[in-house]
Amino acid sequence: MADLTTAADAGPPRAAADRRFATTLIRAGSALLGLVAFAVLVGPLLVRWGPEEIDPAASLAPPGGAHPLGTDVNGMDILSRVLHAGRLDLGVAIASVALAVVLGTALGLLAGYRGGRVDDVLMRVLDVFQAFPAFILALAVAALLGGGAGNLVLVVALVNAPAYARLVRAEVRTVRELPFVEASRTAGASGLGTLWRHVLPNSLTPVRVIAPLNCGWAMLTLAGLSFLGLGVTVPAAEWGAMISLGTGDVVAGRWWTSVPPGLFLLVSVLGFSLLGEGLQERAGVVR
Amino acid sequence: MRIARFAARRLLQAVPVLLGVIVVTFVLVRVLPGDPIRTILGPNATEADAAAARARYGLDQPLWRQFLDYVGGLFSGDLGTSIQSGASVASEMAVRVGPTMELVVLAVVIATLLATVLGIWSARRAGRAGDHTLRVLALVGNSLPEFWLGLVLILLAYSVLGWVPAPSGRVDPDTDLTLITGADLLDAALTGNGPAFASAAGHLVLPVLTMVVVIVAPLLRSVRASALEVLGSEAYQAAAAHGLSERTLLRGYLTRAALVRLPALAALVFGFAIGSTVLVEYVFSWQGFGQWALRGLLYRDYPVVQASVVVIALCYTLIFLIADVVHAVLDPRVRI
Amino acid sequence: MSLLDIRDLRVTIGDVQALKGVDLTVGRGEVVGLVGESGGGKSMIARSIVGLLPGAARATGEVLFDGADVLTMDAAALAAHRGGGAAICFQNPRGALSPTRSIGRQLTDRLTTHQGVAAAEARTAAVALFESVGIRSAARRFDHYPHELSGGQAQRVMISLATGCAPGLLIADEPTTGLDVTLTREILRRFREAADEEGRGVLLISHDLASIARVCDRLVVLNAGAVVEHGPAADVLAAPADPYTRALLAAVPDVTRPVARTAATPGGEVVRIEDAHVVYGSRFGSGGHHALRGVSLTVRAGETVGVVGESGSGKSTLARLMLGLITPSRGTVTLAGREPSRLRGRELRDLRRRAQLVFQDPIGSLSPRRTVADAVAEPLRAAGVKAPERARRVTAALERMGLDGTYATRRPHELSGGQAQRVGIARALAGEPDLVVFDEPTSALDVTVQAQILKVIGEVTAERGRGSVFISHDLATVRGVCDRVVVLYLGRIVEEGPVEEVFARPRHPYTKALLAAAPTLAGRADGAGVSLTKDPEEAVPGAGCALAPRCPYAEDACRAEEQELRTLGPVRVACRRAHELPDPPDREGPER
Repeated sequence: MADLTTAADAGPPRAAADRRFATTLIRAGSALLGLVAFAVLVGPLLVRWGPEEIDPAASLAPPGGAHPLGTDVNGMDILSRVLHAGRLDLGVAIASVALAVVLGTALGLLAGYRGGRVDDVLMRVLDVFQAFPAFILALAVAALLGGGAGNLVLVVALVNAPAYARLVRAEVRTVRELPFVEASRTAGASGLGTLWRHVLPNSLTPVRVIAPLNCGWAMLTLAGLSFLGLGVTVPAAEWGAMISLGTGDVVAGRWWTSVPPGLFLLVSVLGFSLLGEGLQERAGVVR
Repeated sequence: MRIARFAARRLLQAVPVLLGVIVVTFVLVRVLPGDPIRTILGPNATEADAAAARARYGLDQPLWRQFLDYVGGLFSGDLGTSIQSGASVASEMAVRVGPTMELVVLAVVIATLLATVLGIWSARRAGRAGDHTLRVLALVGNSLPEFWLGLVLILLAYSVLGWVPAPSGRVDPDTDLTLITGADLLDAALTGNGPAFASAAGHLVLPVLTMVVVIVAPLLRSVRASALEVLGSEAYQAAAAHGLSERTLLRGYLTRAALVRLPALAALVFGFAIGSTVLVEYVFSWQGFGQWALRGLLYRDYPVVQASVVVIALCYTLIFLIADVVHAVLDPRVRI
Repeated sequence: MSLLDIRDLRVTIGDVQALKGVDLTVGRGEVVGLVGESGGGKSMIARSIVGLLPGAARATGEVLFDGADVLTMDAAALAAHRGGGAAICFQNPRGALSPTRSIGRQLTDRLTTHQGVAAAEARTAAVALFESVGIRSAARRFDHYPHELSGGQAQRVMISLATGCAPGLLIADEPTTGLDVTLTREILRRFREAADEEGRGVLLISHDLASIARVCDRLVVLNAGAVVEHGPAADVLAAPADPYTRALLAAVPDVTRPVARTAATPGGEVVRIEDAHVVYGSRFGSGGHHALRGVSLTVRAGETVGVVGESGSGKSTLARLMLGLITPSRGTVTLAGREPSRLRGRELRDLRRRAQLVFQDPIGSLSPRRTVADAVAEPLRAAGVKAPERARRVTAALERMGLDGTYATRRPHELSGGQAQRVGIARALAGEPDLVVFDEPTSALDVTVQAQILKVIGEVTAERGRGSVFISHDLATVRGVCDRVVVLYLGRIVEEGPVEEVFARPRHPYTKALLAAAPTLAGRADGAGVSLTKDPEEAVPGAGCALAPRCPYAEDACRAEEQELRTLGPVRVACRRAHELPDPPDREGPER
């Protein structure tokens, strides 16, 4: 979830045991993400069915035979769809977080370093946007922009950017007051030079730590929107949309239409979460 | 008394934000693609029919006029008429808010209590197996898509095991529950309706469990980190070095200091939970606020979308205000 | 039998030997000073005494307290021993008081735990104890939280918490760090009283030999985890046997010791400040903090001016004013012939480079992600010096500070405090400025390192063609480095003159009090000299002389009219009674 406030919660320096655990978390997270990335990049080359190819002979076929994970109500192969969907989900999540980081950092730097009127106006605008729970805002913006992968990148980035802006602004305001920034000013460096050489590099630690965690949240948002029909829609392959299509099957006891995409989603998000948690832990140790 | 003045001041500070919210919502809804009139009239309506319908909903007026009507209505409690159902938005909303708030409040309260107890437990065992296991479990919960977790829980607890009632509705209609607040569990308790209480509780188990699992991780992380910070702090070490008893240390020196940062995060989590209800209600056919707002959004039902978004923002802002006040009570360093 | 008897205490953490066989005793009614630099193992001894060693530490030997070995105590015995047997007053009292519990509750917790005071009577007992350690309006203070206290009050509360445990042994870990000289004296007197009047044993731990020497019966000197010298305080001070002790003593600049300095022949004006006022506005217009109130000061090339005052006197504001980093609310600042407040952009930055600052926090003043060479090059880069020339001058500047080429690529966290401060000085000198301002450059350093840095500063300031300003709360260092000294009190200059003149014959009551309170190794009868009557945070200045509420010589006329600087012999003093006040008594001579 988009809890960008917890960067400061990383806590005081701790023992070596914690550092080892942080490393374990980072390794486990990277391994899970590597596994998913490998599966969705290589896997589609190995399956017989295309992601939107209909097998007229099999609708809601259980796993086995020609369809290792069965088919959905339209007779499309679940395995092929799950693997293809991963490319879209991972791609959109990473792209949207990258965009949010760039947007948010720029705004946060501007507000934090300039201060005064610029800061006041920017912060009030962000206040308004942050007066909506993130997912509600995402719903509204998605309805406004319409579905499709490109628009979803924009939706998730726009919803996330204010939090990054706030995070960077707070950090900049702290760093701005540190002695080494004053030292740079005393040395006669220009405002922009000080900003670029001293303030920016020392203000990005929380962003670096939060971004992976945020990728997980972005995937969940994306899938949630598609689940509600506001994101990518069937027949396109996307995990949330696939789960949505299988909702009715669950009550009837047909697990295979919705459980596999959910598991893939879970493993990917967990990968990001473990990575992010590990980075937070380590940042807490280093700082 | 100073707390009350502090709360009043924070409320005043929230006014510009709420005004901004009203404007943004209004504009957002007008620029939504799609025409609500076309969606209710169907493809066979003539241009004249459409114009008449527009006039009925005030959509033929210039934008500034619509805005003034809308703001005026907000202050008099008139939220307009739903284009889809033709019913008053306010009365539709009234029956929808209760069930959703019940879900969200229960989930957030349970998650916060759980996080407090487990977070402090975990911090006191920092670095040991129990601590690590708990943290990884919380992360797994946090990584679960709530809509999928709901489905899996239905599959297991209803389809396979048959432990809970079917995932539709919130209370067995045979129990003749009298509606008061719309929050069924609360209404059953208020009217002393035992069977309804049991039925409502049974229906609540899965959706509340789903949400608790999904939201507990950040709260737990925060409590644990704060508690660790307190345990390692000079202040706590000093108290321990002066030989105070475990009980005094836990109550007087650890718990309150560790909870200082929780309210703000709990408010954020509350907002996340409101967002989650849209998905969770959909899965459990909860017929609450989230589902109602979602339908409004899908059908471009302007009044419904406007009203629901404004109410959510208002609620969210209030929650943050409450969190600030709780923070001020917990932390003497906050200047009020 | 001694109250505390440590025998051959060895502590190892991982592969590191923190303590290598320490022997130490403290008797009832005795004050023992444990002295050594940071990292020497002092805190480890304190932690061993209360059985609070870090989890990874392994201890051997004996820590006998009343005959019982702390190292082998079970949980119940330890619980009673901690606080009840030995109680620590922690360094940095503000950090050691729990921020979310009122100070009264924190004290009653101790009283009910260790003295068995009934909950109903705890409040009364706590208020009485607060009063006994010198906290005014104790009943009202009871419900206050630590963040509402000043540093001095926090230290008093910390002492009350420790004594509230009714311990046989009171351990004070760096009890005076961060306190002003006048408060330091007051706090140390409390510990002496705890030994003399309450019969407790007291173990004073400090890195600063000078500050604690005068209240100690015996001194124990610790170096790298081993006791290198111990004995009666007077003997150790008079005839130190161990080279390390001698180094420590030599490193202490003594305020009573005149320093021979070649008389400077001042050149042209480098910076001129005229009637400068600085008000830090609050966000809401009215009010604000009046940091400087009409200060005039000129620094010439080749001279070093010392600026002395307690915290809050406006020292740092004055420094930032000279550097053109802040603009005076009233009055003018002229730096190298131009007024920074009239310049903008490039011109202002060029002028700012003419004055450089050496910071109090050496490591914090270096950007964590930049190398040493990068930091030193900054003023040169700003001046538009080309890269090869820049590299050459950076190397030269570092070499001058005794740092070879291997330091150039290091980052701040790889430097010691002393090395970082050398880098800071190298950076300040790299652009060859007209003025260098040293803002408490040694206060964050260990004593022996302080001495080295002061030596470097002495060399730097002796150079002609450049003016220097040395800001410090520590009178002794000023005496060693400066030609002229300015004493600041609440944003005003109260005395100004040649350094030897001011130190030998202070004329303003505030200067007298500062000098009387300054730590000396020679020691002297307690109570001699002028002492101010209140803590700074309790004295609210009125219309007249700002010192009047605290001044033992104040008359009604002092409270009525502001005091202007007036020439009195070789100095200038802002006190209408300066000419008639008695000279301070002879400062030499033993105390006990």
